[in-house]
Amino acid sequence: MMADEADSRTGAVSVSGPYSEAHYKELRRHTTIRFFCLYLLPLILLATYFFVQYEAIVAESERLHLAAIAESQSITLDLFLSERRINLTNLINDPKLTLPPDNAMMLGSLARLQRISDAFVDIGYIDSSGVQLSYTGPYPSLEQRSYRDESWYRGLRDGESDFVITDIYLGLRRRPHFTIAVSRIINGEFVAFRASLDPERIYEYITSLEGAQEVYTTIVNREGHYQLIPERFGNPLDTGAFVPPLTPRTGSHEAEVGGVDYLYGYSWLRSANWALLVQDVPGEHTTFWSGLRLQILGIALLMILLGFATIVVRARRQVELMKESDSTRAQLGQAAKLASVGELAAGIAHEINNPLASINEEAGLMKDLMNPELGTPVSPEELRPYLDSIQQSVFRCRDITRKLLGFVRQTDVSLREHDVHVLIDEVVDGLLGAELSVSNIRVVREYGEDMPPLLTDGNQLVQVFLNIVNNAVDAMAADGGTLTIATEAGSDHLTITIADTGYGMSREQLENIFVPFYTTKEVGKGTGLGLSVSYGIVKSLGGRIDVRSSQGEGSTFTITLPTRERRK
Amino acid sequence: MPGRIKLLIADDEIKFLESIAKRLEMRDFEVTKATNGQEALTIAGSQKFDLALLDLKMPGVNGRQVLEVLKREHRFLEVIILTGHGSLDSAVECTKLGAFDYLPKPYELEKLLEVLRRAYEARLQKKFEADQERLEKIADMATGSSALSILRELRKLDDDEK
Repeated sequence: MMADEADSRTGAVSVSGPYSEAHYKELRRHTTIRFFCLYLLPLILLATYFFVQYEAIVAESERLHLAAIAESQSITLDLFLSERRINLTNLINDPKLTLPPDNAMMLGSLARLQRISDAFVDIGYIDSSGVQLSYTGPYPSLEQRSYRDESWYRGLRDGESDFVITDIYLGLRRRPHFTIAVSRIINGEFVAFRASLDPERIYEYITSLEGAQEVYTTIVNREGHYQLIPERFGNPLDTGAFVPPLTPRTGSHEAEVGGVDYLYGYSWLRSANWALLVQDVPGEHTTFWSGLRLQILGIALLMILLGFATIVVRARRQVELMKESDSTRAQLGQAAKLASVGELAAGIAHEINNPLASINEEAGLMKDLMNPELGTPVSPEELRPYLDSIQQSVFRCRDITRKLLGFVRQTDVSLREHDVHVLIDEVVDGLLGAELSVSNIRVVREYGEDMPPLLTDGNQLVQVFLNIVNNAVDAMAADGGTLTIATEAGSDHLTITIADTGYGMSREQLENIFVPFYTTKEVGKGTGLGLSVSYGIVKSLGGRIDVRSSQGEGSTFTITLPTRERRK
Repeated sequence: MPGRIKLLIADDEIKFLESIAKRLEMRDFEVTKATNGQEALTIAGSQKFDLALLDLKMPGVNGRQVLEVLKREHRFLEVIILTGHGSLDSAVECTKLGAFDYLPKPYELEKLLEVLRRAYEARLQKKFEADQERLEKIADMATGSSALSILRELRKLDDDEK
């Protein structure tokens, strides 16, 4: 942590490569995210989409399945009730019917009805006064009971319909049952037969149907009171949690009961104001679906995990490769820098030899002045100016070597904001200043105004300028010339143009200019690396180098560098 | 003042120029200083020199160009190149252009004096041979030519630089 902090403060670099470990950590993170977004994310989205679609299809088929069961059961139940009604209608339409029916006839009729369906509990005959004149069944007290105020009786008598099937009620007998009643006008007289039916029989009938074991079946009326319900779920006439919608008459619906969503299928009966509800029985059927879902989810999760692991490994490997190539490039860069210095050596030698020659002459002169053979010996005070001058020359030499070593030793790659003009001046005034002036090369600076700071590796850029100006100096060495350096800021880049008036290049030279080890200089003078390395550096900084040249007219190098984009 | 060797030194390093000039003067040379190539050419145009010491890299007219002009204009003048750019190429080039010798800076004064001595001897030898040749020519002419043409040739002996 401490090292990291120190790194970020000084911009220094770790030993393994030109960049710090934190840089690679960040790079690893970025690469992982990029891979994730590129490879895994679309897969996950697609899988999620398909899973959701699959779920919807499963749910839809479940709905259709339940609705179909509800419909088929309601049709069966309708059929059953219609049959019961027809049984009664047959009774009332019997031409042998005598009114009021006598006891024997009532007994016979009930026996006949019960043979057809064991749901029939009792029957009764009611006349236009609403009184049950005859009754046969387990509750004899119901004889003489008046139904005049019952809504179903009034409905029959008012001719709204010639039959009625009531909701379930407890009635006097305190047992849930319902009534089917039919009416007819015989000889101008209103007559009606009513029969009580045992809902449990109906329930047994329904549950005996094929496919009924897969579902729970309940019946509610329009008010939501249970008409038929398995005993363990509740009692008849309890209020259910929900009433299915009236339209459509058949369908499926979801309802929340006690915080749990229930899916049920429903179908309204035609013969009674009842709705038949079916619900899945949790069992093989549902465990199959949830098992499949778990499998799909498990496999998907496993694949995602595997994919992620692969991505992490691949990102790690990629960054490892980048690290290696960075380090190789840093080493190559250093080698190339030494090569550029090699090409510089002649100029530097001149730079150092001149003050050395001055020192030599001044020291010699002092010796001469102290030599009695050559004249009158002088006082030490007279020698002082020569000693000062020698010291000055020594400092000049020291400055030159320091400048050179400073350039060679800087191996850190550090991105900082630089003023590009300062970097150019470092080359034109510093490293190559003396060389340019003794080679009779006039330097013209056409620096642009408001140049944005350049976030870059200054040392590398100095190397690029050095290589290009070095070549320019060589091209103009014979007769001197003009070196024009122009800078210009664009919206997101800046350009540096370095033009010389030297002997220029042929087409063949121009084509090979950036090829490593290609050189036009004599053996031992040029390595052929300077411009190829410069090209690599500028490219790695996100920029480009263009060259124009024609023989005898000089060469122009244009370097374009991005000002916004950070180096990757 | 016969006996003193006339020497032209051209170098843009002022300190070096001052010191070397003083040292050679102490050793009985008649030294004229030039701080650049153009000045050297101007001085050489108006005075006669026995020897010239030239720095190669100078702003303006460089040493190589001065060498070329001097060798063309002054037949017997010997030129010695002094330079901090010690490279074989420039040594060969200068020799081709007629430089007597080529000394890389910094050098030992004894060596320079030795070279100057040899150069002066070479100059004398060359001049002697040229005079000899002319005298023989004059002797030939004396047998058959007019007095005027002999006089003309004799005048050339003095005008030795052309």
